[in-house]
Amino acid sequence: MDKIELKNLLFLARIGIEDREHPKILEKLKNTFDLIDEMNELNLDNIEPLNNPLELNNVSREDSNNDRNAKKNFLKGSPESDEDYFIVPKIIE
Amino acid sequence: MNFKLQRENFRSKKISAKEATQEAIDKAKKDKFNIFINHFENEALLKAEHIDNNFDEFKDLSLSGIPIAHKDIFCTKNITTTCGSKMLENFVPPYESTVTKNCNAAGSIMIAKTNMDEFAMGSSNETSFFGPVSNPWGKDLVPGGSSGGSAACVAANITSISTGTDTGGSIRQPAALCGVTGMKPTYGLVSRWGMIAFCSSMDQAGPFAKDAFGCAALLDAMASYDIKDSTCSKRKEICFEKSLNKNFGNLKIGVIKNIDNLGINKDILNAYENSKIVLQGLGHQLSEIDFSELSSGICSYYVIAPAECSSNLSRFDGIKFGYRSKDQKDISNLYMQTRSEGFGDEVKKRILIGTHVLSAGFYDAYYLKAQKVRRIIKNKFEEIFKEVDLIFMPTTLDQAFEKNRESSDPNRMYKEDLLTIPANLAGLPAISFPNGLKNNLPTGGQLIANYFGEDLLLNITNKIQEVTDWHKMIP
Repeated sequence: MDKIELKNLLFLARIGIEDREHPKILEKLKNTFDLIDEMNELNLDNIEPLNNPLELNNVSREDSNNDRNAKKNFLKGSPESDEDYFIVPKIIE
Repeated sequence: MNFKLQRENFRSKKISAKEATQEAIDKAKKDKFNIFINHFENEALLKAEHIDNNFDEFKDLSLSGIPIAHKDIFCTKNITTTCGSKMLENFVPPYESTVTKNCNAAGSIMIAKTNMDEFAMGSSNETSFFGPVSNPWGKDLVPGGSSGGSAACVAANITSISTGTDTGGSIRQPAALCGVTGMKPTYGLVSRWGMIAFCSSMDQAGPFAKDAFGCAALLDAMASYDIKDSTCSKRKEICFEKSLNKNFGNLKIGVIKNIDNLGINKDILNAYENSKIVLQGLGHQLSEIDFSELSSGICSYYVIAPAECSSNLSRFDGIKFGYRSKDQKDISNLYMQTRSEGFGDEVKKRILIGTHVLSAGFYDAYYLKAQKVRRIIKNKFEEIFKEVDLIFMPTTLDQAFEKNRESSDPNRMYKEDLLTIPANLAGLPAISFPNGLKNNLPTGGQLIANYFGEDLLLNITNKIQEVTDWHKMIP
């Protein structure tokens, strides 16, 4: 990974790290990928990927209304809101 | 402090819930190890009073009148839940996690919430926004992580039980480093509802206590089928506390061939050899097993866990809840600055790794490959459990180490989880128990069982603790 790839990655992850910190973070990522790359020594032919240990079936339920006062509760937790909306910086000029 | 005795004292009215709670609160307030993020003195005393006033209603519950500390990863309704992060420093959940709800219903009294690595990412409790936790066995030593506060709380005798979560070893490793008993149940036994997500396919909550008895009683309270978690199992039908008295007969226990090649500290290996003798003395047969794939687990884990973390943590954008960067005029900068200021270095690093391994050009090279390695590990366990009833190995490579450890190996911290990660990848239950002191510090032994073998793990650990006093050592 080089500096340009790192910049793209930081943008995708919406994380800002100052340019002067980039060499340090590149080094850290390189070390971790060195560990991960030990995977390449294994023979993985004809092996199905596993994404959940118990391979459970999905659970569904009736889509029903409940009595939680969701709007009030959730707006209360927001850093900035009014009675009905989350407030964010202006998006359209 | 011994859970069994504490509960007996409450049930026989020797000590009231209020007295026990006041004692725990007093100790917690004097804590020198930075174990807690928040204390709840008034609420705890009120609940204790309520329990004392309604003694008959509470006396037979599994956690009746017992003070408890919960890892600050479990959402508690109208009570701040930080997950060890600046991002959630002032987050007040509008709902209660199933684990804390179950513990409350079982008669326990929450006195505090414990410190932890930020978003459960760490093996030394040094990534917490609220500062590192010290190990009660030595102030300059780490307690392990990520549930370091919960392990230290029991080790320091503040409460007899506490809760934790284990994604790659976050219960078992701190249990080993602090000299307490800690268990990661089968994936799906305990509901993840209201437990802040890190790696959803591996996260699992579990108990800490001095001994298997306390773990069994706490797990009885924690585990329940929960429709709110689609991966939650309906298998909770056994009473773990009762199963401690069951006779499972003489078992075949698998021990790893060539374990000396894994980089485990020689004192830990010595302790391990001692407990092998104890197991044989209890009538069990040890059988060498080949598990050369064991160390590949770590490569797979450090792809899958960051991948799921990058996805789970994308919800922290400063809009609906949690931290928001001040005075941002534009939405894009608001996201970027909120996440840059709200997350610590380790969390940022894991989000970056996860974003990379999931991106279009690298998905097959990393994520898919890691999932295949995960399958290999699971298959290997299945093969082994056709031959043996349990697997026994140490919990960690090292004993408690110094804070800010410098190592010539930059991946040493990640490798701390080498022996615990495989059970998470496969979703298997595993327990860590105190395995005797070396250099005046605890070591941990780990037993792994087949799916839903919690009763067996707790039973055998209890039998070991009946004939040894390793779990009675105090700092």
